[in-house]
Amino acid sequence: MMHESEKQKLLRKLQAARFAVHDASLYLDSHPTCQEGLKYFREKREDCEKLTKKYEETYGPLTASASCAEEYWDWVCTAFPWERGES
Amino acid sequence: MWQYEKTLQYPVNIKNPNPALAKVIISQLGGPDGEVGAAMRYLSQRYSAPCREVQGILTDIGTEELAHIEMVSAILYQLTRNLSMKEIQESGFDTYFVDHTTGIYPQAASGMPFSASTIQSTGDPLADLHEDLAAEQKARLTYDNILRLVDDPDVRDPIKFLREREIVHFQRFGEGLRKVQDMLDSKNFYAFNPAFDKPKKK
Repeated sequence: MMHESEKQKLLRKLQAARFAVHDASLYLDSHPTCQEGLKYFREKREDCEKLTKKYEETYGPLTASASCAEEYWDWVCTAFPWERGES
Repeated sequence: MWQYEKTLQYPVNIKNPNPALAKVIISQLGGPDGEVGAAMRYLSQRYSAPCREVQGILTDIGTEELAHIEMVSAILYQLTRNLSMKEIQESGFDTYFVDHTTGIYPQAASGMPFSASTIQSTGDPLADLHEDLAAEQKARLTYDNILRLVDDPDVRDPIKFLREREIVHFQRFGEGLRKVQDMLDSKNFYAFNPAFDKPKKK
């Protein structure tokens, strides 16, 4: 196991929150009126939004459209996730 | 990681179904120069791209090709709705219908199913980028041939958009190729694989 940097620790939380939103979406596709599922989805989505904002402000964009697009195109200045230690 | 957006990249709204057109347009889904192959080609090749600009170009164009799969599929879907058995037989769509009804299946106009043998990922960024330039030209000329066969403006309009994108992608791949060449010793262009062969240590 590689030593986890602050960046990776934040990324782990973000990945967990994003996965929860994704998995809840799958569940809601077949249970669109489940109130408990909807509540869970809303909570996880809020976590996701906060963590995404924090991550992108500190470590750069997760999507091209989230690039700050000031002075240079930071979308191609940070590593892609298939490099070891970047996911 | 990918996320789906519930919108087409460019609108597809076809008033009149026309299964004979679907029979030829399907080549741009699963044919030798179609959108399925394009997406698989670029998204497979990006791991051996030597710099982030080219990694970005392959990722972003590969992603756009996924959206083009959806646009071509939407064209096929709308061209084959509400068909009578008579229309299916008389249009020649019966040979597709027998296997797939009006489902969307990636194949060439000839009936050949999509094959990864129509693409390459060589692990050599110079070879790959040359393939990509050729692929965009081949897709552009296939759209040109489709436009020669289609009169309906509802079909021509999204096909023209897709054709334009091939031209833009050709330009971006050309810039990517230039970028990779600028990183190399010009005496060694094409003499070795910059992603695998390392220069000899002195």
